[in-house]
Amino acid sequence: MLLSVFDDLLFGLGVALTPYNLTVGIIGLVLGTAIGVLPGLGGTNGIALLLPLTFKLQPASAIILLASVYWGAIFGGAITSILFNIPGEPWSVATTFDGHPLAKQGKPGMALTAAFSSSFIGAFVSIVLFTFFAPPLAELALKFGPPENFAVLILALATFTGLGGGNPAKTIFMTLLGLLLATVGFDIVSGQPRMNFGQVALQSGVNFIVIAIGLFGLGEIFLTVEEGLRLEGIKGRIGFRDLWETWKLLPRYFATLVRATILGFWIGVLPGTGATPASFMSYGLAKQFSKHPERFGKGEVEGVVAPETAAHAAGIGALLPMITLGIPGSPTAAVMLAGFFIWGLNPGPLLFATNRDFVWGLIGSMYIANVIGVLLVLTLVPVFASINRIPFGILAPLIVIMSSIGAYATNNQVLDLWIMLGSGVAGYVFKKLDYPLAPLVVALVLGDMTEQALRQSLIMFQGNPAVFLGRPIAMIFLVAALALFALPAIQTFYRRRRARISQPAEVIG
Amino acid sequence: MRKAETAGGVLLVLFALVMLREALRLPIGWTVSGPGAGFVPFWLSVGVAVAGAVILIQSLLPAPSAAEEAFIPAQAWKPLLVVFLPMAAVIAFINVLGIYLGGALYLVGYMRLVGRFRWLSVVVVSGLIPLVLFFIFEKWFLLPLPKGVFLERILYGR
Repeated sequence: MLLSVFDDLLFGLGVALTPYNLTVGIIGLVLGTAIGVLPGLGGTNGIALLLPLTFKLQPASAIILLASVYWGAIFGGAITSILFNIPGEPWSVATTFDGHPLAKQGKPGMALTAAFSSSFIGAFVSIVLFTFFAPPLAELALKFGPPENFAVLILALATFTGLGGGNPAKTIFMTLLGLLLATVGFDIVSGQPRMNFGQVALQSGVNFIVIAIGLFGLGEIFLTVEEGLRLEGIKGRIGFRDLWETWKLLPRYFATLVRATILGFWIGVLPGTGATPASFMSYGLAKQFSKHPERFGKGEVEGVVAPETAAHAAGIGALLPMITLGIPGSPTAAVMLAGFFIWGLNPGPLLFATNRDFVWGLIGSMYIANVIGVLLVLTLVPVFASINRIPFGILAPLIVIMSSIGAYATNNQVLDLWIMLGSGVAGYVFKKLDYPLAPLVVALVLGDMTEQALRQSLIMFQGNPAVFLGRPIAMIFLVAALALFALPAIQTFYRRRRARISQPAEVIG
Repeated sequence: MRKAETAGGVLLVLFALVMLREALRLPIGWTVSGPGAGFVPFWLSVGVAVAGAVILIQSLLPAPSAAEEAFIPAQAWKPLLVVFLPMAAVIAFINVLGIYLGGALYLVGYMRLVGRFRWLSVVVVSGLIPLVLFFIFEKWFLLPLPKGVFLERILYGR
């Protein structure tokens, strides 16, 4: 068992190290870092925009490209956070808290080194965990029947409500809306057209990528122009002294690094949550455990280490359920999963048997891309930071044009451009009214699978929902899902009771 | 903000009802081949409607913080519309303009109106970007994008 993992890993490294895939990976890293640096262009959207370009690639090269973009974007987000005090990505918001003050104190090199190094450590440990968790998880999932699959999917969707924070009614609403939109097109079981309002263009269904580009891409542009983007940066480069001085400090944060990695990886694996909540939770946790919590927010190195470690660990973790179960661990992973269908792959545990080069090529490339990635950002910080000199007056229309191309190219129909524009407006309004976007996107991707699993389970047992009672694994998942759905209500109840006794505690969103 | 919250809730419930009506055109009960095609859409629409109704009711309940602010600040309307309206216009005429010419026009408009660039930079940038995109998508990745009547005629004489 263990030996075969090493075998597979060596094979995967071989796939990732072919000159072609290595080049693809490096291109992905550079693009991803640029995407990460640019505020207004997020990793999720960046990957959605690149998706049409992967039609012509081999699946293994395609996933290596997209994953490398993801790693690059996670590294790159920190650059803008630290030097410009504006998060380049949502997952690097927490990095601004201490990263920017540190840069302002004349130590931008130290802040950047701390961010990249800890991000790399979180990633690397998570990749090792990934390598050893993935095969047994896939093997377990192979034994699942429709009831178990349905239960796992419901559990995945329940994590949004249970752990996503925010208004549970809105989270449940967005989850159900995503599932409902997935039913548009035709019935997967009977092949009958449905929910298309008589429109031929809707018969192929609501295209997930188009919606994602609208919600995350255009929505973000609308939000950015509304706020009016001002970029005033600190010049930063990393010298050998920065490296030496920061690395000397890192062993001191050993406990924080371990905590942040485990927390991040676990949060990433849970489908409801990705790198963004992981980074916030890790920051809060580090502050709680610190002997000097008062230093946080004023340029504490630990305040950079904690969120960066967790964000990258979560990014890696998010791909674990994607590759083993076909369930995305984050919105970004959901976009990648949409790619699986385009490349003609069926997501799920069978991939480990049928597409060894795809699965292990991805895992192998994670090791390689993250080593190259950290070297790239450490040496090229000034180059990447200068991307922010592109004036917004050019950047905004460029993103709009790229989004339109991405939305059109997935299906070659003009209707998709309108759907994209509509989702862009919807994304803007939803964001302003605090409706979470992640459950909508993930539910939209999982809709068909969930419906199929539910209906097959019902058919298996002639419509008797009691089927689930006789399947212990499915039952465990369903009970856990139910608990997650109830969690916000339970929390409110306890908070109210406690509030009557003492002052309400501050909640970290 | 509260008003927007309420209006949003109303819209969402209405949307759910439209979907519900569409679902009711399908068999929603048990058929020979198990649950009908409308079974899942029907119950999901019901769920969406209920969740929307809950949000709507929440927005009508007295909130702890009564800070009333505009949903879209007055000064934000202009920059928002400058992005949105030209984009809608380009999409509306995409069959004529194509994505490259349409994109170029969009760039010209945005760079002039928002960026206030000199005409020289406007022309250079909005000429170069579509050209680069054309070579990437049309030549390199062989993805056919809408080229519009002008480009079709120049390239293929159609």
